[in-house]
Amino acid sequence: MCVSRVSIGRRRLIPHWPVRTESLFRRVRVPFTKRPLLRFEGRYNPKTLKRELILRDKKPLFWTLGLFVLLVLPVAIGQERVFSIFGIICFYAAVNVFWTLIIGTAGLQSFASMATVGVGAYGATYLSISRHIHWPLMLVIGTFFGALLGFIISIPARRLDGMYYALLTLGLSEFIRSYITQDKALGGQFNGALFGADRIVSEDATHTLAGQSLNYFAAFAVLLGSLAVFRVVTGGRIGILLRTAQSSREDESFAQAIGVDFQRIRMFVFLIASAALGFVGAFYSAYTGGTSLNLFSLDQLLLLLAMIVIGGLGKAEGAVIGTVIVVFITQWFTAWGPWRIVFVGVMMLASVLYTRNGLFGLRQQVIEIRERRKALARSSRTTRYGAFLPEEGPEIRDKANISEREFERHIRDELREWISPEIIEEHRLAPTGQHSDHLERILNYFRKQPISNKYVVYCEESFKSYRVVALSGQPGVPPRLVDDKIYTSLDEAYHAVFLRRINDLKSQH
Amino acid sequence: MRDVSAGYGTMRVLHSLNFTVEAGERIGLVGLNGHGKTTMMSTIVGMTGWQDGSIIFLGNEIGGRRTHGTGRNTPKIVRSGIAIAPQGDAIFPGLSVAENLESGAYTQGAWRQRKKRRDAVLDIFPPLSDRLKQTAGTLSGGERRMVSVGRALMADAKLYLVDEPSLGLAPKISIALVAALCQIDLGDGAMVIAEQNLPLLSGRCDRILGMHAGELKEDVGEALGDLPPAAELS
Amino acid sequence: MIELLFSALVLASMYGLVAIGISLTWSSIGMLNLAQGFVFTAGGYGAYEFVQWMGKHQHIHTGNVLMVGVVLVGMLTAALAGLFVGLLAFLPLHDRVNFPVRGLIATLAISVIGTQLFIILFGPQNKPLPQLFGIKRFHIGTHGIAYGQLGTIVVAALVMGIVTFWMRTSRRGLQMRAMMMNPIGANMVGVSVRTTGMVTLAISGALSGLASVMLAQTFFVSPRSGVSPLTVGLIISLAGGLGSLPGTVAASVLLGLAEAATARYTKQSLVPFVQFGLVIAILAFRPRGLGGVLEDVRE
Repeated sequence: MCVSRVSIGRRRLIPHWPVRTESLFRRVRVPFTKRPLLRFEGRYNPKTLKRELILRDKKPLFWTLGLFVLLVLPVAIGQERVFSIFGIICFYAAVNVFWTLIIGTAGLQSFASMATVGVGAYGATYLSISRHIHWPLMLVIGTFFGALLGFIISIPARRLDGMYYALLTLGLSEFIRSYITQDKALGGQFNGALFGADRIVSEDATHTLAGQSLNYFAAFAVLLGSLAVFRVVTGGRIGILLRTAQSSREDESFAQAIGVDFQRIRMFVFLIASAALGFVGAFYSAYTGGTSLNLFSLDQLLLLLAMIVIGGLGKAEGAVIGTVIVVFITQWFTAWGPWRIVFVGVMMLASVLYTRNGLFGLRQQVIEIRERRKALARSSRTTRYGAFLPEEGPEIRDKANISEREFERHIRDELREWISPEIIEEHRLAPTGQHSDHLERILNYFRKQPISNKYVVYCEESFKSYRVVALSGQPGVPPRLVDDKIYTSLDEAYHAVFLRRINDLKSQH
Repeated sequence: MRDVSAGYGTMRVLHSLNFTVEAGERIGLVGLNGHGKTTMMSTIVGMTGWQDGSIIFLGNEIGGRRTHGTGRNTPKIVRSGIAIAPQGDAIFPGLSVAENLESGAYTQGAWRQRKKRRDAVLDIFPPLSDRLKQTAGTLSGGERRMVSVGRALMADAKLYLVDEPSLGLAPKISIALVAALCQIDLGDGAMVIAEQNLPLLSGRCDRILGMHAGELKEDVGEALGDLPPAAELS
Repeated sequence: MIELLFSALVLASMYGLVAIGISLTWSSIGMLNLAQGFVFTAGGYGAYEFVQWMGKHQHIHTGNVLMVGVVLVGMLTAALAGLFVGLLAFLPLHDRVNFPVRGLIATLAISVIGTQLFIILFGPQNKPLPQLFGIKRFHIGTHGIAYGQLGTIVVAALVMGIVTFWMRTSRRGLQMRAMMMNPIGANMVGVSVRTTGMVTLAISGALSGLASVMLAQTFFVSPRSGVSPLTVGLIISLAGGLGSLPGTVAASVLLGLAEAATARYTKQSLVPFVQFGLVIAILAFRPRGLGGVLEDVRE
């Protein structure tokens, strides 16, 4: 694999390898879909002129590698502490992925993610304890509770915009927490903690390597599931529809105008994410055998926020990486005490001050800065080079275009210099026939121009009335009237056309 | 202004302008929409996306390329003695007319003399005297324009920039407004009025410049052959 | 009944002070200051340190002067904390893209860092502050009201009144209100967003500091003492209408009454629900809050 395309100032590494023609068209697809596993393309290498296969999108490779490491590492190390840390990573990462779905894709600035998780956890735990429900049903109950809370929270979302809604949901966590603390059945006994729910891996087995590994695989499976849901929602039809309404008010009106009911779709995504968060909550209680109030604590929520801010809002990669970083800092360096959180806070602050979208937004940010600087330089430079600037050269396929435009521009500049009242008068006196050198050159230039929008004379009635029209250049589209004037002689009409063309030439660059 | 270019983002609106205003001058700036009159005024107070070149006001350099956000230096520039009545009246809808006018007295001496200056402005725009306590958001278009221009006049400024005072107003009101503007005694200050409607300004300004596609053309009058026949004064 | 009214008003005054600060900041510079809890706590700790210092140096013991000093130090510390927040979260971000969200997150980050720093510096235990108004009670009819309560209400009302008056009449207040309506227009009349923003933050800080010192009469100063006032303050600003001082005051009175009544006649645990429900009810009828002054001007 080597560098295959060099553009001025940017080197792009695209993996490629030569293949035989038959294997160019072989595609491995994801079962039951038409989607290929990896995005390959076949082409002729512009330098060596041989058939080769290139890989367009390297992201799946990174994902696979990362997830593989995440799966295997704790089992390889085998310590209980490592298992617990990685379990926390998986759990929080799953929550964050869904939270990213809510904030990024559904566009609802909701801080109620942990509240939903907690509600699912408490609902499932309580019912498991009181009615001896096993963990599969617990998961279903958790999902249900999550969806219920999501539905309740979605009602004010229509009437309140961004900041207001964020505040409301921030308060919600606190209120649910205080409710649970007060309620005897849920929170009374151990200050909010409940124990005794059914576990996926039984209590005794958690102290063996096999048991822990199994438990961890379950958590990992939840993470995979969250990523799958995220992918299906954002990559599929829903995601595409929502992206039409994403960036701004104008986009939203546009989406509405083409019939995309984005509000409803957003609510739908929100409900899915809430249900999924409830599921994760129920899983949490099955994983650890109970729940506790720290699911609702504001500190936890802020830590989660730090994770997605540091990683990057809106992308699943950001959610996962941010989670890994923050959990690692808080769980591994316990000797630092409160300084861990200070450190995380500082990272969060730096992230929001200096980056536009966290770690994974950095690349986009750098590109944007570069683009902006280029555009600024381009516009503040005097327009000497005409239509194209040197750095755009490599991006244009047919280089002949560049020289052609240069040439035309040069000609126009020269012709403009020759336009004078004398030339106009000369043409008025004799539109047809022999002309001076400059006038003739000007006329030749006009005659050479493309048909589209060319001014011509339209004869309404021979020898009596003529008009000036502009040709459309498209078959089937009639010419358009340029103004109301009627000319009584052909020479006047010719001169009028000439004047208009001169006017256009003067105002063209 | 010397060799000043300015624009927004990738678009360049002004192309190497050269422009001088003397004390006591009243200058009219005429041109069609979108050709850069507003941009030129914004450039002077520092509210464009970017700008190039040198602008010297009372001996101080206020132009130059800004790397900060739009309008970050505007308060400082404005306080050094420039008053601007922008296109479309940036008045404060929730404040009363009196408060709107008062907010215009931001230069050093003007705040202390605000009562006197306010009375002077009310002399120029009598209809406002009855509406001093009224909330500015409830005024009609002409009254709002008067508040906006009046607010600019409240400042003890050396340079007044008035952007399209007749925009959206009935002909009778706009004639009266521009006439009032042109009768104000400038002392050693200067005034630049940007207008689309040439006849409103002709005869009342010391100089009239044309702005076309971001470039200035001196002493217009007949030279603006592109414009449609002059708007009839009713 | 009277006791209920008094306790309600005490709560209302303290929440109201914090809420006004939040409301002012949001409407004038467009930043939701979630670090207000941090500022609140900073004021409390500032006052505490002052008391410790005074105790060590055996200086002026005349009760009243000391008390005034405590309050002023608390307000000053909190104002400084507010400026600090502005330095970190407002000045760098205010003209960048996506400012509301980034400002929110930045203030949250400051809040997180600040809480932990307080834990490190002062330890997690509660710290008491001396009673500002003495511990005597007076009587209206058969009901006993602590001087402390009366003092709190009076001082808070006075300060709120001063702030409202100042906003309406002073030049700086005019500038702040102008900035709330039309930031671009404000720019053009020489109102610097940065300076005015910092002033706003300092004022809202001072208000929270005052609330903190007075709240510490009944509760204590602790690293997390800012959380609850922040949450309730936010809710009140929402209900009162971000930017409307009268609306915020009205909302804080309403919620104070709601809390006092709920605590008295039903369980304490239902208080958050009632408050929340009340706010939702207000927002359901008036999505822009009670004030609704800045209806379409700034979101």
